[in-house]
Amino acid sequence: MKVRIKFTKYGVVKYIGHLDLMRYFQKAFRRTDIQMIYSKGFSPHMLMSFASPLGVGIEGYGEYFDVEVADSEDYTLIKDKLNVTMAEGIEILDVVLLPEGAGNAMASVEASDYELEFHKENPLSEELLDKFLKADSVIFVKELKSGPLPVNVKDLVYDIRLIKENVLFARVNSSSADNLRPAALLTALLSLEGKNLEDYPYHTLRREIYRKNGSGELVPMGDVND
Amino acid sequence: MQNLALPEEVLLSIDKPERYIGNEINAVYKDKNNIAVRFAMCFPDVYEIGMSHLGIAILYDMFNKFEDTWCERVYSPWPDLDKIMRVRKIPLFTMESQEPVRNMDFLGITIQYEMCYTNILQILDLSGIPLLASERTWDDPIVIGGGPCTSNPEPLYAFFDIFYIGEGETRYRRLLDLYKECRSKNVSRQDFLIEAAKIPGLYVPSCYETDYNEDGTIKEFRPLHEGVPGTVLKELVKDLDDTYYPEKPVVPFIRATQDRVVLEIMRGCIRGCRFCQAGQIYRPVRERSVEFLMDKAEKLMKNTGYEEISLSSLSSSDYSHIEELIDYLVKDCTDKKINIALPSLRIDKFSVDAMSKVQDIKKSSLTFAPEAGSQRMRDIINKGLTRDDILNGAILAFKGGWTRVKLYFMLGLPFEQDEDIRGIAELANDIAAAFYETVPKDQRVNGRVQIVASTSFFVPKPFTPFQWAPQNTAEQFIDKATKCKRFISEQLNQKVIKYNWHESDVSMLEGVLARGDRRLAPVILSVYKKGNIFDAWSEYYHHDNWLKAFEECGVDPTFYTTRERSDDEIFPWDFIDCGVTKRHLLNEWHKAQQGIVTDNCKDKCSGCGSARFDCGICVRR
Ligand code: SF4
Ligand code: SF4
Repeated sequence: MKVRIKFTKYGVVKYIGHLDLMRYFQKAFRRTDIQMIYSKGFSPHMLMSFASPLGVGIEGYGEYFDVEVADSEDYTLIKDKLNVTMAEGIEILDVVLLPEGAGNAMASVEASDYELEFHKENPLSEELLDKFLKADSVIFVKELKSGPLPVNVKDLVYDIRLIKENVLFARVNSSSADNLRPAALLTALLSLEGKNLEDYPYHTLRREIYRKNGSGELVPMGDVND
Repeated sequence: MQNLALPEEVLLSIDKPERYIGNEINAVYKDKNNIAVRFAMCFPDVYEIGMSHLGIAILYDMFNKFEDTWCERVYSPWPDLDKIMRVRKIPLFTMESQEPVRNMDFLGITIQYEMCYTNILQILDLSGIPLLASERTWDDPIVIGGGPCTSNPEPLYAFFDIFYIGEGETRYRRLLDLYKECRSKNVSRQDFLIEAAKIPGLYVPSCYETDYNEDGTIKEFRPLHEGVPGTVLKELVKDLDDTYYPEKPVVPFIRATQDRVVLEIMRGCIRGCRFCQAGQIYRPVRERSVEFLMDKAEKLMKNTGYEEISLSSLSSSDYSHIEELIDYLVKDCTDKKINIALPSLRIDKFSVDAMSKVQDIKKSSLTFAPEAGSQRMRDIINKGLTRDDILNGAILAFKGGWTRVKLYFMLGLPFEQDEDIRGIAELANDIAAAFYETVPKDQRVNGRVQIVASTSFFVPKPFTPFQWAPQNTAEQFIDKATKCKRFISEQLNQKVIKYNWHESDVSMLEGVLARGDRRLAPVILSVYKKGNIFDAWSEYYHHDNWLKAFEECGVDPTFYTTRERSDDEIFPWDFIDCGVTKRHLLNEWHKAQQGIVTDNCKDKCSGCGSARFDCGICVRR
């Protein structure tokens, strides 16, 4: 059976790369008595699917992966079994059973909530946000192998507001086709006042990841029903 | 939440920040307010290498079992971070508390290979500890060295307060107690060191003095204080079932070189290959019981979550219960989906069977280390391995489905002639021929056999019968490698034989440092000042700086390498008693000259001197 696991990754573990995080969880399961399902062959591995890799240096408070465990497991015990063997900053928040036929975590991602905190100089203001909201289009130029591609960032933002004077909240498109990176959003936003993102150091935090449910609404990845 | 020693912008600008953040699974954190002794344990190379070292894991576990002690880890910052730390004046820190190393009571450094000597100075320098032991005060940690290179610590004598000679499990408790007592009684650092010098196994270089003869050899080496012994007998663990062994080793976030559970099944080796230092300095062979190992294997897999387990020893096939142990592991690990990495076992029916169970034969290759190509040379080096042994092993393996063979040889061994080098080519050729004879055409899995023959250049090491041998010059080395290549190209099956050889510059330097004396300390200091660190990494190795440093310090490197040594020369390391007597080594050197082999410890005791430890094979036989 497949379960979807919600976890955090904050503090010093934010420096762990995605591949190492996957290896970390494989070992973590082996430290518990949870029976896992493995791939076949000479080096069997667990069958895992992460919603969306978190870049090095970014903190996550609502991260997800799916993994296959033996049908005999009581999935409600998995959270506690894992939490006794976690490194500081990695905590299992929730474990839910994936219904038959549900799309895997990676393929289901539609949107993400980010909190972007400027910890030195603060370029944010209500005026800046106003400009963003009133503009017809706010352009970020993606550098692709095929050449530069202008993107209207506004099409990819579901929600944007200040939650503190130096912290911007944004719910953005994270689907594989139209993923908007927070840095791209900020670059485009600051360009409205002619500012360069490189001059303003900031921290990125991902609060939640969303999928679309049967009626096309954004729901947290952990809400797996329908 | 914990503060890190490195600021965020630094961590995000360097390669692999995970090397510096600590917090790994099973890392030990203690309340420093309840701690009497803080010990920083350093492996002077990059994190992934250092984290792979079992010896450090054993000592880390041991120290942290002491309630009054907190042992933390330190590794060499990679050159990208090294630069930043110097510019921003960030002091070197420990993994766990992230506090400056200089705050610790002890800095223990394991010295595993000669090419890390400049990294030792990097560690001291970045820590803000005076490089010269003579300039340190109680504001600095006691710097103590251990590991195989301490079998000749003299080139490093100026940089260490103490060297620990032998296996670390036995004397540290006594040293820490002495330290606590001396600190509480306000004893001077120098007086503490003199007292430490009286603890068995500890060598305090500042308590000794060397006089030289006119020809540069050593005239006399003597202690400077009463009660400080003239020779230091190595330490060893007599009963390997009744000692420290970590059940919860630290599990790195990044992939370490040794990314698996390591089970040390025994120490020492029954064979006395005459070039091999490990075969002498870890005598006598001591085994762990199979019950002990099964129990540890279970706990280690459970506590780490590793997906692979590997056996460690100098020669695993000689372990008395190897079949029982491997059978157990194969069964247990298959159930748990854990891979078994079998170390280079002697190739026989059992090992071929075992390997075919745990490895993907098509992908894996088989390793032989005949070390020499001709029987004459294998007798000189006392490698108890005949051409038939090797060919029969290869045939078994070919029948089992293997098609790839790796062969390891040495060039520059004592008394070497062209015929011995040609023997390398011929042996490789014979193995290829054996493949074609053994495996019918329609059953050849990958089409044909692949043989990789590698040669390294022989460097004479202290405490081996070849400690008297002159090392080859760099030119001789290159000349021999060229010949070897030519001989291989003349073989019938040359198309399936690939030949590799290593650089000769590093071998020269290794040779100097291995058999060096105190006069090399200024050279090491000078080359470090010229910017050399990570000499073990070819991309950072600057040979020119070493040559300049020799010249500036007036040291002739050939004095240590190519010079002929007389039978009665006093060597810089003679004050250490490694268990094997110099008389035995000399006898072995003479037997080598005559091509006479010596039995291994299992077949017949050759009276090497280690029996006085009264343990292991010396009493079991
Ligand atoms: S078999 Fe020979 S080379 Fe290997 S460890 Fe033993 S003595 Fe050394
Ligand atoms: S005393 Fe004999 S048995 Fe013991 S290590 Fe030496 S040679 Fe081997």
